Amino acid sequence: MARMKFLCDSERCIECNGCVTACKNEHEVPWGVNRRRVVTLDDGVPGERSISVACMHCTDAPCAAVCPVDCFYTTDDGIVLHDKDLCIGCGYCFYACPFGAPQYPQKEAFGVRGKMDKCTFCAGGPQGKDNSEEERKKYGRNRIAEGKLPLCAEMCSTKALLAGDGDMVADIYRERVLKRSGRPQTWGWETAYQEDV
Amino acid sequence: MKLVKKTGSGSAATQPSSGFLGRSIDRRAFLKRTGLAAGGAAVAIGLPAKMMRRADAADAAAADGDTVIKKSVCTHCSVGCGVIAEVQNGVWTGQEPDFDSPFNLGAHCAKGASVREHGHGEKRVKYPMKKVGGKWERISWDQAINEIGDKALEIRERAGPDSVYWLGSAKFSNEQSYFYRKFAAMWGTNNVDHQARICHSTTVAGVANTWGYGAMTNSYNDMHLSKAMFFIGSNAAEAHPVAMQHVLRGKENGGKLIVCDPRFTRTAAHADQYIRLRPGTDVPLIWGILWHIFENNWQDDEFIRQRVFGMEDVRKEVANWTPEVVENVTGVPGDQVKQAAQTMVENKPGTLVWCMGGTQHHVGNNNTRAYCILQLALGNIGVAGGGANIFRGHDNVQGATDFGVLSDSLPGYYGLAEGSWKHWCRVWDVDFEWVKSRFDQGAYEGKDAPIPVMNTNGITVSRWIDGVLEAKENIAQKDTIKAMFMWGHAPNSQTRGPEMKKAMETLELLVIVDPYPTHSAVLPDRDDGIYLLPAATQYETCGSVTASNRSLQWREKIIEPLFESLPDHTIMYKFAKKFGFAEQFTKHIQVNGEEPLVEDILREINRGMWTIGYTGQSPERLKLHLENKHTFNTTTLKAEGGPCDGDYYGLPWPCWGTPEMKHPGSPNLYDQSKTVAEGGLPFRANFGVEYKGQSLLSDGSYSKGSEIQDGYPEFTADLVKQLGWWNDLTEDEKKAAEGKNWKTDLSGGIQRVVIKHGCAPFGNGKARCVVWNFPDPVPIHREPLYTPRRDLVEKYATYEDRKTFWRLPTRYKSIQEQDFSGDYPLIHTSGRLVEYEGGGEETRSNPWLAELQQHMFAEINPKNANDLGIKDGQYVWLEGPEGGKIKVKAMVTRRVAPGVVFTPYHFGGWFQGQDLLDKYPEGTAPYVRGDAANTAFTYGYDSVTMMQETKVSLCKITAA
Amino acid sequence: MNASKATLTACVAALALLAGCHEPVSVTVYEAGEYKGESDPLLKAHAKSESKEALQKRFSMGQSDR
Repeated sequence: MARMKFLCDSERCIECNGCVTACKNEHEVPWGVNRRRVVTLDDGVPGERSISVACMHCTDAPCAAVCPVDCFYTTDDGIVLHDKDLCIGCGYCFYACPFGAPQYPQKEAFGVRGKMDKCTFCAGGPQGKDNSEEERKKYGRNRIAEGKLPLCAEMCSTKALLAGDGDMVADIYRERVLKRSGRPQTWGWETAYQEDV
Repeated sequence: MKLVKKTGSGSAATQPSSGFLGRSIDRRAFLKRTGLAAGGAAVAIGLPAKMMRRADAADAAAADGDTVIKKSVCTHCSVGCGVIAEVQNGVWTGQEPDFDSPFNLGAHCAKGASVREHGHGEKRVKYPMKKVGGKWERISWDQAINEIGDKALEIRERAGPDSVYWLGSAKFSNEQSYFYRKFAAMWGTNNVDHQARICHSTTVAGVANTWGYGAMTNSYNDMHLSKAMFFIGSNAAEAHPVAMQHVLRGKENGGKLIVCDPRFTRTAAHADQYIRLRPGTDVPLIWGILWHIFENNWQDDEFIRQRVFGMEDVRKEVANWTPEVVENVTGVPGDQVKQAAQTMVENKPGTLVWCMGGTQHHVGNNNTRAYCILQLALGNIGVAGGGANIFRGHDNVQGATDFGVLSDSLPGYYGLAEGSWKHWCRVWDVDFEWVKSRFDQGAYEGKDAPIPVMNTNGITVSRWIDGVLEAKENIAQKDTIKAMFMWGHAPNSQTRGPEMKKAMETLELLVIVDPYPTHSAVLPDRDDGIYLLPAATQYETCGSVTASNRSLQWREKIIEPLFESLPDHTIMYKFAKKFGFAEQFTKHIQVNGEEPLVEDILREINRGMWTIGYTGQSPERLKLHLENKHTFNTTTLKAEGGPCDGDYYGLPWPCWGTPEMKHPGSPNLYDQSKTVAEGGLPFRANFGVEYKGQSLLSDGSYSKGSEIQDGYPEFTADLVKQLGWWNDLTEDEKKAAEGKNWKTDLSGGIQRVVIKHGCAPFGNGKARCVVWNFPDPVPIHREPLYTPRRDLVEKYATYEDRKTFWRLPTRYKSIQEQDFSGDYPLIHTSGRLVEYEGGGEETRSNPWLAELQQHMFAEINPKNANDLGIKDGQYVWLEGPEGGKIKVKAMVTRRVAPGVVFTPYHFGGWFQGQDLLDKYPEGTAPYVRGDAANTAFTYGYDSVTMMQETKVSLCKITAA
Repeated sequence: MNASKATLTACVAALALLAGCHEPVSVTVYEAGEYKGESDPLLKAHAKSESKEALQKRFSMGQSDR
């Protein structure tokens, strides 16, 4: 069993934001908090490409490294999660993250900056039983516990966004690259996972 | 966890931008910046708690109750994506990907991924309301039906049935669409229409008049097999995102993608070749491509000889379009045109895709026919991977068109001739004379002999405002329109905003039947005579829906109608009862309480829709497909084994004969490599057997297994007898079929027998390139009414004005001869965004979507912006030459060419810079509001169908 | 607006990162401390091989082009 990974195939991403709303739908994250976003380069001119970005669940997660209260933990297949009860909303993880993944809800306990919220790979968090009300309220739905994968990828309109066992993700992607006879453009993969596809 | 919206100003769209970096990053970042402070305007709804049957996922999940899975289809576009809903205790708690669906394989775009928000429905109209003294008041359903009904009957008495306009919707299910047309017929008017008029009417007319049926010939899935994909005026990445899954698979299989569009769209971003043309020059571009094809003899001569009529006339016109002329008119460099021609020739089969960019022009029918002709010349029709893949817009605009929610036809394109009425009266089992008596008995059209109103086209949705405002004596009906039913319609999707406002204020009665208040509720300044009736969404009822590829899918009811809303067919029944024709209306349809049984409506449809083969898709067969989606091949759509073995998914029409005949549906139209019984077809012989001495029947070409190995006309009882096939009919069939034809034989016997002999019921004809009954028999270029190229007006002039066209005077030349290009130097064009749909009321009320697009904007090229001294993100006034103006944010981008301004048309809730927030009933205002693009759009209607021109007008931009 | 700035910074960061095709592989690796929060019940459940197989099956069903 390899690690769980995200990969966004920029040749297929059409910036439709299906992943973004799928995430909103599944976890009912509040207005202004975006666990996932689509970033577009060269908007409106030839060469325009988009990729969907969220927490990449890094192999050696910088957020965890800088967290002053050590609220991060990693599942044995590499999903990076955190404990919102421990989080103090300091924002260090945001500066450490190469993908801008951590989000901070406004107008909560800490005034301008609430406890950090980020993509959980649809795997919830530590509090309560899996898919308990408490877990849902704090982290959203726990699909992994139900044997399902992140909804953003499962609902991707063109199957650009892949999520799952890294080996299987890489297999699908390599097959596509071969078919297109292009070179791989695995945005973010190496940074997050410190390895080739 | 509840949806948490930011409290605050309550004006989602008025917050000034602040503190962003000087340069634009991308459209999304741009919009986020400009509107982030906004948040949702969470206005307290102020309802008693028990009224609020609002979904709260977390609470419901915590409650006991098993999760029930319900299957539906997304209500946003025509791809037909399967939606899987998890329901607990009647609350829609979860949405799962529908991996089994061969259409979307689980995928959704932003809109599809957000449909569960329907179960929240915070911004819905919650109960019937009317305006009293300028204030919205709650009323009961009974009071609403009685008051509205009495007023409508009074208008009918005074001004005739044509003074009440029944504007329907592509959001209806098939059954509701059919029911609505039947309803209008029994009310006694042809003043009934819907959005297809302003969406693909020019496609339907152009394509049907070319080869028989005016629908997408192949399917989205079939594009896996395309070696070339030519998109013109279609931005699938935003309008049909899940279609791109199939397009990109086709591309990965080696298909070449060409995108022609005035904008460098997100679809263009994935193209192998992008061609930027000047808006409104589609015919010249297509003729420019054909010029190279003819010049090099690249056309498919054998295909043309056997299956195409009139290509020589096209050649004569095309000869005028040399590369130099094409470049001058379209702005496309000659080598690009040649490259496109070469790609299409060298990569076959190739498909051609078009959408609103091609259809919404005053020469829309010319455009659509030119596209067809290009495909005919290449021999690309009737083959897998080829075809004219016309992507329809709304989820059921194909079905609503098929069922004739149109002012020029009864269901099934039967038209309005007496024979058509008699056919449907037989199906309805009502007396023809009674239906006739429901109509105005006058006659207002016809040169030699007066034509009864019943047989004349009604006023179109695109022109209803003229039906209200035009002087009575200029309209070819008894009186002007006095009452409008806007039943699932966004008025901001229509041009001429200021005049529309006036028309809404002139009406005596305006009834809005919709889940949301829509722009109609807030646009007019009127204190009374306006009603809101809450309609249920398609997730709150069941029924069938037809995707763009002609496949039917059954939707299960996910949740009960929210609040006091009712399904459309129930509301229709209530009005039928009030008007006194409920008995005839539902003669063979079971009514439970006041809800007609949807399955029974479909069975009645099956008994009457012979023309386009809506007869084989019984509720039982559709439900079987629903349960066995996973057995269908994702490329061919054919079931491989299982209970649906051999069927094509959704029984794409024509699905001939009775359900018992088990026709599998027709996956690719006009595909002769299959027998008709297996879904094959030749071209339809719909235009007679000869024209000016030349045969219109196919020449030695026929579908597989045909016993007639040549062209043949459409089948009648007499022809069946002549062929000696009559005794193949059963005795009962003979009785029903005697004197009838394949379209009117209610037993289906004629269809069954001719298919048994390998023939197509509609004959085997040639596709025609010359539509002699249209204003331009061979498509020609005509400059837009509002064109910046005054130097071309003389050579490519528009039509003469017409006195009576669809009951109304219609202007062409008198507009074009005025030169507006000095004061209004920029071309204005419009289109879609992925997050919103149609007029956008529903999607802008969905916080998950609204957050992603918070501002109405206009794309302006940096050159124009700099010339005008306008900076990215600032408010500007965009004014059209008829005086309509809108206040929007400037988005400076190279996506548009210099001289072209693009606006998305989904916004509403503002009028000419004014936020109409306080005119909404409490708690129903969408999160995002903005000026409607169409407020600034202008006059201009297609010369055949009355399609509105929204892809080319002029404008000027000034800093606000 | 903090979130707006955050979003912006995120975009800029992502842009800067993605501006070229080549990505540097060297990432600063920190010594993380020990997790001090509650234990997540998922970890135990998820460690079972059935649970992993279920996810793999799900992946093949949903993410391939079929």
